[in-house]
Amino acid sequence: MRGSRLTIWDYFSHSSFQPPFLWPKRSTASTVPSLAHYFAQDTELQRKLDHEIRMREGACKLLAACSQREQALEATKSLLVCNSRILNYMGELQRRKEAQVLKKTGRRPSDSGPPTERSPCRGQICISDLRIPLMWKDTEYFKNKGDLHRWAVFLLLQIGEHIQDTEMILVDRTLTDISFQNNVLFAEAGPDFELRLELYGACVEEEGALAGAPKRLATKLSSSLGRSSGRRVRASLETAGGSGSSPILLPTPAVGGPRYHLLAHTTLTLAAVQDGFRTHDLTLATPEESPAWLPLYGSMCCRLVAQPLCMTQPTASGTLRVQQAGEPRDWVQVHGVLKGTNLFCYRQPEDTDTGDEPLFTIAINKETQVRAGELDQAASWPFTLSISNRYGEEEVTHTLQAESRGALQSWMEALWQLFFDMSQWKQCCDEIMKIETPAPRKPPQVLAKQGSLYHEMAIEPLDDIAAVTDILAQREGARLETPPPWLAVFTDQPALPGPCSPASVAPAPARIHSLPWGRPRTFSLDAVPSDHSPGASRLVAPLPLQRSPRSRGLCSKGPPHTWLQSPV
Amino acid sequence: MSYVPGQPVTAVVQRVEIHKLRQGENLILGFSIGGGIDQDPSQNPFSEDKTDKGIYVTRVSEGGPAEIAGLQIGDKIMQVNGWDMTMVTHDQARKRLTKRSEEVVRLLVTRQSLQKAVQQSMLS
Repeated sequence: MRGSRLTIWDYFSHSSFQPPFLWPKRSTASTVPSLAHYFAQDTELQRKLDHEIRMREGACKLLAACSQREQALEATKSLLVCNSRILNYMGELQRRKEAQVLKKTGRRPSDSGPPTERSPCRGQICISDLRIPLMWKDTEYFKNKGDLHRWAVFLLLQIGEHIQDTEMILVDRTLTDISFQNNVLFAEAGPDFELRLELYGACVEEEGALAGAPKRLATKLSSSLGRSSGRRVRASLETAGGSGSSPILLPTPAVGGPRYHLLAHTTLTLAAVQDGFRTHDLTLATPEESPAWLPLYGSMCCRLVAQPLCMTQPTASGTLRVQQAGEPRDWVQVHGVLKGTNLFCYRQPEDTDTGDEPLFTIAINKETQVRAGELDQAASWPFTLSISNRYGEEEVTHTLQAESRGALQSWMEALWQLFFDMSQWKQCCDEIMKIETPAPRKPPQVLAKQGSLYHEMAIEPLDDIAAVTDILAQREGARLETPPPWLAVFTDQPALPGPCSPASVAPAPARIHSLPWGRPRTFSLDAVPSDHSPGASRLVAPLPLQRSPRSRGLCSKGPPHTWLQSPV
Repeated sequence: MSYVPGQPVTAVVQRVEIHKLRQGENLILGFSIGGGIDQDPSQNPFSEDKTDKGIYVTRVSEGGPAEIAGLQIGDKIMQVNGWDMTMVTHDQARKRLTKRSEEVVRLLVTRQSLQKAVQQSMLS
């Protein structure tokens, strides 16, 4: 986004409950966008914006209804993501509107440039195996002796107007790294992309002693008011329009609710793309005094790959005649397909679908020389295209004949575009980098599966063994394939789709209706963070899951797959 | 050369002083390194302990400054000009060796033959 770079946190603290029309005073645009602007153009973007606004409303309601800290953390995260997307889309809409207005009002001096500029093809960017090492010091042990400080962290990734988030992970000092199992995919990115990564963290425990007096008072007030009246107070605040009321009741997202702080950020570009595991430096953003500060080592490992469309999609195809070695009259008619760095010559057009091997393949890379020509003699197909490659000492030239001048033009055009794309996408065009399609994302599991059975439930005195086996079955069995039942409270909400769904709390609520003995009351806040579900997307190389989640020492949970060697 | 995390590392080391060679714009040392805390230690062919994430010498070019100084393939680099190399990423290690302002690097390296030699001399 151009203009002042508002982090999501800035937006959050100023405008938590205001309806979107009363936009906060600070805005990326110079004017406050009015309702009319929304309906101007770009229905696709508009649709996305409306969707995010609805999601945001849902997340706000959810947050207000949350009683558990973990639920509140998930809901706050969804809210943050929605807010950042909304800001983004609004900024984009504003930019497009400005561009339109400028076009209408007259020619800009820069318009008198060349009419058609070659633009590089789009590509898919995928980042996976994200791992952020932590650096726990002795002081960490002395500070907490006994109780386990926990943090909830997640990553926000942004390219242009697309924002994606990872799942939320609970971190404590038994972890040596923060590992995200997600495979984040951005379609439609250009070679000049900037992938901005932001790591957000929040304390799982309440930030009691550190908060200022007004907030403490506000917490006391709302908790002493009781839940329903507290909600009414909050609702009245909403309608009144937040910022006008006295500061003592000005809420942070939810009164006493979790606050996410920006812990670190970094920006990755094409130079960072490699078909392998790489380390990048993180810019740390929170000072040590902040409650959500985590001892980050300062770097981040990940696998960032890019697949430009020119490598995966055929860019040109047609009938060609290929001259056999030396003899200008001896030719073979083929169906040529230009894809990636090769010109495949098939016997017939149908062969491309059947998966047959091409007759032969001509390599086209950065060093290939291409020349168009016209034969003087009365040949049936006078328009020629010669492709030369240098292999070591010798130069190999293939001469092809096109059926018409137009066909030759289009082949040359495709080749020039390919050369341009290769110059823009650089190392991505050497070889196709593999992108694994991520498995459908399961709702993130906030509470660990491995926890003591005693911690996870409160059984009524008149319970029987059926209750216990029920709980056990739930723990092992299907996890939240249906949305949690308390979602039904918001019946006016459209069904919340996958990525932003305010997801799991614990296994139990999923079948809350069917249990005759009522809802378990206690949830262990002491649960050991588990290794992530084995069913989640497994990437290029499988991670060894047989390691116990408590493995201390320097062996991290997501070991790298490479052992690089560098000359010095 | 195995170690226990949290405990200090003891090793018999040899000092190797390499004078970088100027090749055009670059200063080269004439060897390659492998390893690092962000790399997979099980693929290291030179380490005794396959969980050792240290920096190892994987190749020494013939006649280069490193070979002249006495660096051998399979050596584990413990320190470079005073900077620790036992707990660094691969890129950090490479950067510490290729600083343009330094013409000489003094390495502390350890190798299994050194350990054995010292043990034998202590026994006899």
